Amino acid sequence: MRWAGPAALVVALLVPLVPAGGYQQYVVQVATFVLINAGVALAWDIQARTGQLSLAPAAFFGLGAYAYTIAALRGVPLPVAFLLGPLVAGAVSLGLGVVTLRLQGLYFAIATLAFAEVVKVIFKELPLDLTGGAVGLTAPPLLGGHQTGLYYLGLCVLLLVVAASLAVRHSRLHYAFTAIRQGELTARVLGVRVVRTKLLAFVLSASLTGLVGAYATSRLFFVIPEDTFGIGLSVTALATAIFGGVYTTAGPVLGAIILRSLEEGLRMVLREGYLAVYGVILMLVILYLPGGLVSLWNRRARDAAGGD
Amino acid sequence: MMDLFLQTLANALIQSGTYALASSGLALAVGVLHIVNFAHGEFLMVGAFVAYWLSVLAGIDPIVSLVPAGAVMFAASGVIYQASIRRVLLAPELNALLLTFGIGITLQNLAVLVFGATPRVVHTAYQLTAVTLGPVSVGVAPLITLIVSVALLAGMYAVLYRTGVGKSIRAVAQNRTGAHLVGLDVDRIYLLTFGIASALAAIAGAMVLVRIGASPHMGFGFVLKAFAIIVMAGLGNLTGVLWASLVLATAEAFVRTYVPGGGGAAEAVFFLLIFFTLVWRSWRTA
Repeated sequence: MRWAGPAALVVALLVPLVPAGGYQQYVVQVATFVLINAGVALAWDIQARTGQLSLAPAAFFGLGAYAYTIAALRGVPLPVAFLLGPLVAGAVSLGLGVVTLRLQGLYFAIATLAFAEVVKVIFKELPLDLTGGAVGLTAPPLLGGHQTGLYYLGLCVLLLVVAASLAVRHSRLHYAFTAIRQGELTARVLGVRVVRTKLLAFVLSASLTGLVGAYATSRLFFVIPEDTFGIGLSVTALATAIFGGVYTTAGPVLGAIILRSLEEGLRMVLREGYLAVYGVILMLVILYLPGGLVSLWNRRARDAAGGD
Repeated sequence: MMDLFLQTLANALIQSGTYALASSGLALAVGVLHIVNFAHGEFLMVGAFVAYWLSVLAGIDPIVSLVPAGAVMFAASGVIYQASIRRVLLAPELNALLLTFGIGITLQNLAVLVFGATPRVVHTAYQLTAVTLGPVSVGVAPLITLIVSVALLAGMYAVLYRTGVGKSIRAVAQNRTGAHLVGLDVDRIYLLTFGIASALAAIAGAMVLVRIGASPHMGFGFVLKAFAIIVMAGLGNLTGVLWASLVLATAEAFVRTYVPGGGGAAEAVFFLLIFFTLVWRSWRTA
């Protein structure tokens, strides 16, 4: 499947040029949402490779989004505000990582979930002129809000996440991550610096999530605590990654393309309750295709997902 | 001053009853099946809707309906277990978690499709009356839910620690292979335990219907808190669930009463407590 990546990139580049008549704008919009979901899911996956199930993507997404919005509203040049997104998310994740790195399995998941909920409430309760409280803020758009331009910017953001994922996959880190996932004690005996590696994965993942958060806000033009920090965002991230195939680069991206397009399509047909179909599909994939979609053609991915 | 304090304490006690009931089912599933049931909150929602429709269509009091609500969910969870859960018991933790998450979203959205997203409430005579005990005034409905919760939890303990079935359940929880070796039918114990856990959720749902109401989205908030409680208690530790429920409900109630505009902050305190408990515990034992 060596051609799959470049082919996908070419298709992604051509999306805004597809002659879809009156639906042109809608297609680009859905494609942009796919980029955002893929970015968050892939960033989550990078960290999941160390065996830590984080439920905090929403927190880092939200921190990135708010950092961009608040800075931009105070007159910070937009590109600088944009970069503040990943920086703030990364810095906070460093602190959180140091505190929680001893927790394992479900305990880690719940600690990150609790953290995300606390951050959400803090942003709701902070002074109104800073965060806008429960109503949120209107964010200044990047590139003057030009839809096609923003789509290509989103593509760049996703490509950056993909590059990070591939870099991890093709370096010694891949073996360190995998060893930690399969057994922390064994990894330590083998000479892996477990604490440092886990922290690196956590901060890398959080920074990338913050970057996607800043981007998403520059495209959606608003931040609201309930949505921007919503647990739904974290759950979608892991559902997308597992649906497509965990511990791979292609899996989360493929998962985002299918799940998000499906969601938008169903929304048009059903308007309400359309997520029931989404739930059924998730159940079927877990029961009959536990390695995710990627395992259909990638035996190694199938073994990796089933083997630990 | 003192009155307010006692009133807050009473509110906390009542809330902790519901929390304990909702969480112990989850703790049972985690402790015995080692399954993190993300659909637990939706089972609670199903119980609330069963009681709601029995009340609307047949005029049955929601408190009485906790029996059919529990029975319906017990049977439904048997089907769910046979069709799906038992197939992921040996798979990685993530798979089971995501499977139950899928079940949860499906149930929640089916409820939206069938019943609509608007919250529903029932009206009973006792919801408007209150009992006054010295300075403290407690609504009859919340009081009934507390009594039912305590009775059910006591019953669950009696079954687990005083009967042969309970002994089998505890044996399987302790060591699946060992239990199998001495001749226990592990699969049936799993089925039974999952049924009991789900029935407890449905009964908690009927209680919530009486106190607050029912809506397709009601489950998620409860499952988040129930997760937090069982993790704080230590996974699978049923006695710990009671303490954790009490501590968290008390903290929540006091923040709500004493912190100005504390309604929003109460949620944060809940999760802050959990966060620090977990972190503190991990650093102490390391």
